[in-house]
Amino acid sequence: MARNRTFIFYGLALVGFVLLPQLISVKYYIHLCVLALIWVIAAQGQNLIQGYTGYVSIVQAGFMGIGAYSTALMGMHFDLPVWLTIILAPFVTAFFALLTGYPSLRVKGHYFAIVTLAFNMVIFIVLMNFHDLTQGEAGITGIPKPGGKDALFNWRDRETYYYFVLIIAALMTGLAALIVRSRIGQILVAIRQNEDLVGAVGIAAWKYKLFAFVTSAMFAGLAGAIYAHYQSFINPEIFGIAQSLDAILAVIIGGSGTIAGPIIGAFFVVFLPEYLRFADSFRLILYGLVLVLATIFMPRGIAGIARDLMEKRRGRT
Amino acid sequence: MRLTALTAAMAMTAGAAWAEEKTLDIGVSDALTGGGAVYGLPQTNAVKLAAKEINASGGIKVGEDNYMLNVIAYDDKANPTEASNAVRKLIDRDGVKYILGFCCSGATGAVASFIEYEDAVMLVGNAAERSITTREIPNLTRTRPPADYTGAAAGTFVAEKGHKRVAVLGALDVGFYASYVDAFEKELEKAGGEIVSREAFGLKDRDMSPQLTKIRGQEPDAILVVGYVEPAAFIYRQAVELGIDVPRYGFTSGSEDQFTRVATSEQMEGVWDLRPTELTLLSASENGKAYHANYTEEFGIAPSPSSPYSYDQTYALKDAIEAAGTVEDTEAVAEALREIAVPDEVVMQYLPVDDKMFDENGQAYTSNGAFQWQGGNWVFVQDLPSDAVAYSAFLSTLDD
Amino acid sequence: MVEVLQQIINGIAIGGVYVLIALGLTTVFGILGIAHFAHGSVSMFGGYLTFFFVTSWGIPLLLAILIALLVGLVLGVLIELLAYRPVRDANHINAFIVALGLTMMVEGINLELFGHEQVVIPTDFSRVFNIGGVTIPELRLYVILAAALLIAAMTVFVERTKTGQAIRAVAENRDAAILMGVNVKTIPLVVFAISTALGVCAGVMVGSLFAIAPGIGEGLVVKGFAVLILGGLGSIPGAVVGGLVLGITEALAAGFISSAYKDVIAFVVMISVLLFRPQGLMGKA
Repeated sequence: MARNRTFIFYGLALVGFVLLPQLISVKYYIHLCVLALIWVIAAQGQNLIQGYTGYVSIVQAGFMGIGAYSTALMGMHFDLPVWLTIILAPFVTAFFALLTGYPSLRVKGHYFAIVTLAFNMVIFIVLMNFHDLTQGEAGITGIPKPGGKDALFNWRDRETYYYFVLIIAALMTGLAALIVRSRIGQILVAIRQNEDLVGAVGIAAWKYKLFAFVTSAMFAGLAGAIYAHYQSFINPEIFGIAQSLDAILAVIIGGSGTIAGPIIGAFFVVFLPEYLRFADSFRLILYGLVLVLATIFMPRGIAGIARDLMEKRRGRT
Repeated sequence: MRLTALTAAMAMTAGAAWAEEKTLDIGVSDALTGGGAVYGLPQTNAVKLAAKEINASGGIKVGEDNYMLNVIAYDDKANPTEASNAVRKLIDRDGVKYILGFCCSGATGAVASFIEYEDAVMLVGNAAERSITTREIPNLTRTRPPADYTGAAAGTFVAEKGHKRVAVLGALDVGFYASYVDAFEKELEKAGGEIVSREAFGLKDRDMSPQLTKIRGQEPDAILVVGYVEPAAFIYRQAVELGIDVPRYGFTSGSEDQFTRVATSEQMEGVWDLRPTELTLLSASENGKAYHANYTEEFGIAPSPSSPYSYDQTYALKDAIEAAGTVEDTEAVAEALREIAVPDEVVMQYLPVDDKMFDENGQAYTSNGAFQWQGGNWVFVQDLPSDAVAYSAFLSTLDD
Repeated sequence: MVEVLQQIINGIAIGGVYVLIALGLTTVFGILGIAHFAHGSVSMFGGYLTFFFVTSWGIPLLLAILIALLVGLVLGVLIELLAYRPVRDANHINAFIVALGLTMMVEGINLELFGHEQVVIPTDFSRVFNIGGVTIPELRLYVILAAALLIAAMTVFVERTKTGQAIRAVAENRDAAILMGVNVKTIPLVVFAISTALGVCAGVMVGSLFAIAPGIGEGLVVKGFAVLILGGLGSIPGAVVGGLVLGITEALAAGFISSAYKDVIAFVVMISVLLFRPQGLMGKA
């Protein structure tokens, strides 16, 4: 019963997203929606390691960076077509995630968070300084769109890109849902609730933690690759700690440990700065305040509140 | 008779009413907060000042109409994604066609990568990354010259002073600072000199004594400091504290106040700054002095040395629109920009190429000057040997 | 040889700052289990405030520092009461997120109140001592001495005073401490007060020897955590050794290897320690 209701809900949401560009008249907001959908992918990944497994990682933007630079550089140096580099990018990211995940997952809680933050800083510093490979702060320009001028679709048109990202975001959300509902997902939740107990029952928790970490990194790598081909320009600035904090915020605000949460959170994270523009200097204070208040008063995020409201309604009838 | 006179009178007033006051929205995308704000905020203020002045003298005249400028400024936080968002918002939502500002290279590069496909004109100010004007973008111009143009002139100057072993301490992870050093090195080597070491520092670093200690051990006969003003001020101070007493040359820009809050005037005495002939009160032309006074009165703080880049670009835009005779046709205005002579109101001292302000790449060239800290002020000492025409030709050969 | 000594001296001053920041972090982390990420920004607030008192109100330096300390104490207590206490019994992650949010808020407040340009607290100390080719500016020397004094004071407090012992009791075994009559509700306030006081001192040192600008606080707190991990959680000697080691290593590496990747060292250290000796140099296994 509940499952049917969930399917209907997501189906309606999908229809809503499909119709969205037709309803928006100002192109600028479609641009923001494209960015938000890219963030949905990254946030779904973050949710796997933070919301379900209970390990706050502060390196998601760093992995997005690896994905973005992989796709751009593979295209430039090996002359590979865009669709191929976009598919390969998450796997390159997975490789780096294995390297960073293995030492990081040996520690828990705050230590884990700080170590992942350290890795994000290392990634950022390397991207900035390894000029020969990454062109440093100047960044990489002219990253091609998925199709040239005579391709099937007009890739210069923002709407086209919107539907492209929508399809991928929907697929990745579906994938996240699959993982979460599988046995793996249940074990991840168990790890979050009581890791020692999981070990006592004879399950090798570290394998599952590593799986969650690497998978979440792959989500990020994919998001980064799509971003690169959308903006046609990348540089290290946008893959730093501040953006990793955005990923965390998206999961918290949207609803930790839910599938709808990251979707809500991603849109929140992209659109809120737009509406806070009136108070540019206060933006930082407000943002921080929102984070603090949300954690204290709505720890289950917007999705959690929505769920509570629906429960209450059902309780009454 | 009376009827005709009346009709004529009515016709005249009707005609005068048609020459109405219209508004032209122009946009600014700049770093208003964050690390780049030391460059971006003064630029935004400078555009507002120029707009105010233009409005006070009747606005931009196109045919019968006078356009009053209305400045819409968005904060790009020196961040590429924010800059793209800001510019897209200006173009899509606010209907703006002319976008000025652009202090910081990363953010500017992001916008430059798509501006070609938009119905807009992009006027770049302080952003110094060379590749911004090598990609043949027809609707982009830049008032600030690329760093290596100045670097070459600086290298020649330092070589002429007789230095053979120069140690470099620079923000080398940043492309345009590195390119300044490369161009500098080339000229130095032509004269038989060499760079004995390249040490690095970052925007957030404040303690460069490890790097300076290493340099002290190498016993150079001069040091070159290339990078952001805030850490650079510490380098000059710490060099003195470590007992380094060879001549110090730099490419940092920065007002007197930005240095004296960190170092004493005695510690700064004799430091050179080899840069575009940017605004300092003592070296300024009449326009420069007026600009300094007006800016200070309007905003309560002295203008930064590089803020005139956007002040000048506003006047260049005005001249281009008037020359093209349209505010709607951005292609015509972009073409006109590359045809105009240097406007009368500009503050920086431009070297026209072919009598025009911007060359075929959309790049303008200022003269380069050697400034020296003397008794608490930056004093203009002499021009650096710069060849704008030759550099312009060189720039045209580059693709990236 | 002179060069090596000079680099070591260079490193000790910044190392002292790292130690103070780490001490502020380790008291909160070790005793309350909170990764107080906002510590760097709060410390910088203390420095900014001192700068403001000295330059805008003409208050003499020592008095300004004292007032800033008092304000810092109040701020620390407020942060504990309003931000961390509500999430104390929830998931650990929540405290971390609150810390991140606090960091943004304090950075934003600093930006609002003090602007985006860097500030330097003016002092009259401008002599430079030269000992056999090794130069050390007067101010640097005083910073090192002040740091040493604070560390000594902190150690005495924790070892010898009743409050200090109560704090250690709570850290070791909260329930037993309650049974022994320790007022557990006030201990967090005391801990935060001490931590913030240390932070303000660090902020004043950074502000006078170097500069305070947006973003510097965050950089310092990350290095502070590296020191914490290097030295071992909750260990004061660990923080001291760790801070000095990090400061000196950074200086030596920048001087003899490469200055471009100087900042990476802290992170590499952090990661290596966690890989090979997670309890840190002086922590218990």
